[in-house]
Amino acid sequence: MDRHDTEDKKSAVVERKTPGDALGEMLRAPAAAPLVPTPLETLVPEARQQTPAVRQRATRPDARLHGLGQTKYIDDMYFPGMLYAKIKRAGIASARVLRVDTSEAEKMPGVIAVVTGRDVPCNSFGPSLKDQPVLAGERVFHAGDGVAAVAAVTEQIAAEALEKITVEYEPLTPVLDPLVSLGLETPGVHAPSPNIYGHKVIKKGDVEKGFAASHRIFEASYRTQMVEHVPLEPHCSIAMWDANGRVTIYTTLGRITLGRADLARTLAVPMSRIRIIATVVGGNFGGKNEITTEPVVALLAKKTGRPVKCTYTRPEEFISSTTRHPIVMDYKTGVTKEGRILARTIRLVLEGGAYCSWSETTLAKACILSPGPYDIENIHAEAFVVYTNKTMTGAMRGFGAPQVCFAYESHMDDIAKALDIDPLEIRLRNALREGSLSPTGQQLQSVVVRDTLLQAAQRFGWSGDGAAS
Amino acid sequence: MATVTLTLNGDVRTASVPPETTLLRLLREEFGLTGSKLGCDVGDCGACTVIVDGKSVNSCLMLAVQADGRDVVTIEGLATMSRLHPLQQLFEDKGSLQCGFCGPGVIMSAKALLDENPDPSEQEIRDALAGNLCRCTGYSKMIEAIQAVARDGRGEPAKSAV
Repeated sequence: MDRHDTEDKKSAVVERKTPGDALGEMLRAPAAAPLVPTPLETLVPEARQQTPAVRQRATRPDARLHGLGQTKYIDDMYFPGMLYAKIKRAGIASARVLRVDTSEAEKMPGVIAVVTGRDVPCNSFGPSLKDQPVLAGERVFHAGDGVAAVAAVTEQIAAEALEKITVEYEPLTPVLDPLVSLGLETPGVHAPSPNIYGHKVIKKGDVEKGFAASHRIFEASYRTQMVEHVPLEPHCSIAMWDANGRVTIYTTLGRITLGRADLARTLAVPMSRIRIIATVVGGNFGGKNEITTEPVVALLAKKTGRPVKCTYTRPEEFISSTTRHPIVMDYKTGVTKEGRILARTIRLVLEGGAYCSWSETTLAKACILSPGPYDIENIHAEAFVVYTNKTMTGAMRGFGAPQVCFAYESHMDDIAKALDIDPLEIRLRNALREGSLSPTGQQLQSVVVRDTLLQAAQRFGWSGDGAAS
Repeated sequence: MATVTLTLNGDVRTASVPPETTLLRLLREEFGLTGSKLGCDVGDCGACTVIVDGKSVNSCLMLAVQADGRDVVTIEGLATMSRLHPLQQLFEDKGSLQCGFCGPGVIMSAKALLDENPDPSEQEIRDALAGNLCRCTGYSKMIEAIQAVARDGRGEPAKSAV
């Protein structure tokens, strides 16, 4: 961002403080304003300096069109001749695909093309491990897997055509629990690959020594559930090819560069021939970080020579998009009589679902943050992520942090209660301080855990007995 | 095919659609009014809210033919060429919308409420928005905006937007 840019934005904000009633105001493009040279000033606040943004009400430049209903999201777009695609979902957690018969669907009036896993040039992708098929090939790994896709002149016909597709499965025993998946005897979800596909250990100090010096040792296990992002706008993409063999894809995708790489791989087309246009997004929260319908519509558009659009239904959002990792979290904590934590061991088992997606980053962040914001000298944290035959998990706000927070704070409350110490007091006694070392050995600066806790307690009238007065 | 004639944002409009067409699809696909959104198609999210004969309605749950002969107002019917509806203005001033996808539905629910009850309590506003989901979680600012519009209607000075 250059300084002219910044200046333009500042003046735009000032203008918006006096709300004009002329609708024409929004049509005045800021880019047309003359560039006013301004003295170069640093916009980076010094440590502990209050930035002028705090306590200010900000308006958004896109708010006007949002309120008028004029923002064009992808589902508001139509291209002449556009077809509508629907994807048939497996509905079975683990199976071998014996036969996919699309002939009846293809005979339906209004159905223009059908594709299956066999039509995908390279049927695997993923942000790190390439373990996810575009449409199921020989195997179904979770019930939300697509097995075939139809392009038809209306959405209604496409939906009806899905009913005409018959798939013969040989059901296999699904792995549905992360702890079962962890076991060595459990058959691999993606055999011959092992079920554990990510692992991390963090060690600090000597936990055995810490436990030996402890007054009491507490152990507890916590579990969180799968969570869907539920963006109000469902996943959607539209693809069209030009005469020179380039494909343009409009999509709700957030990470378009990564998406381009995945599309180049799955379609076997050089990246230079793929153009992705990210549309105004109606909620992402981490759930729109990788391709879903994009290669499917690209294949159908190529087969039909027409633009093809595919919008997830709400049920598909739940079964065929990523979700938040459920984690099984085992904590063991040694404390002094006064509640000071001397040692903590943690084991996390993240449930990855059928595919890796963003599991590796989530695993790392959950593991690093699992000891909590506490000054603990002796830590051993170990995290695994495993496959199950369930909806895949991936990025979601916080990347593993909310799950471990639930565990270490619940654990803290249990310890406080057992030692008869006020829950606030036990946190103050253990909280990270200026200069404390993090679990990974980083010296921390600008540490305000205590101040934050004390101010929060004061603001909502913490009375010390576990209830706000 | 079924013929539907309705008053849409003040104009009489007619369309011929398959009988299973919902009011939402009629608005979006026949009349090109894409302000009402399809979020769930089962009446859970409220992104498709419009006003039919003064009542807020999930247009994904109403058939187009059921709107025959009725008065329908959509988000596109609120502003004039020269003036925003006070709800649109205050939603903008208060920063009530983030991604904006739920916005048109929320504003229509709020309009239906204020048309019937110009001085709602906070609880009444919350009840009126109970059928509208927002996942960016901007409910407080939406409620602030609706309260400010209600205050304006009573001639009370609204709190500064900034």
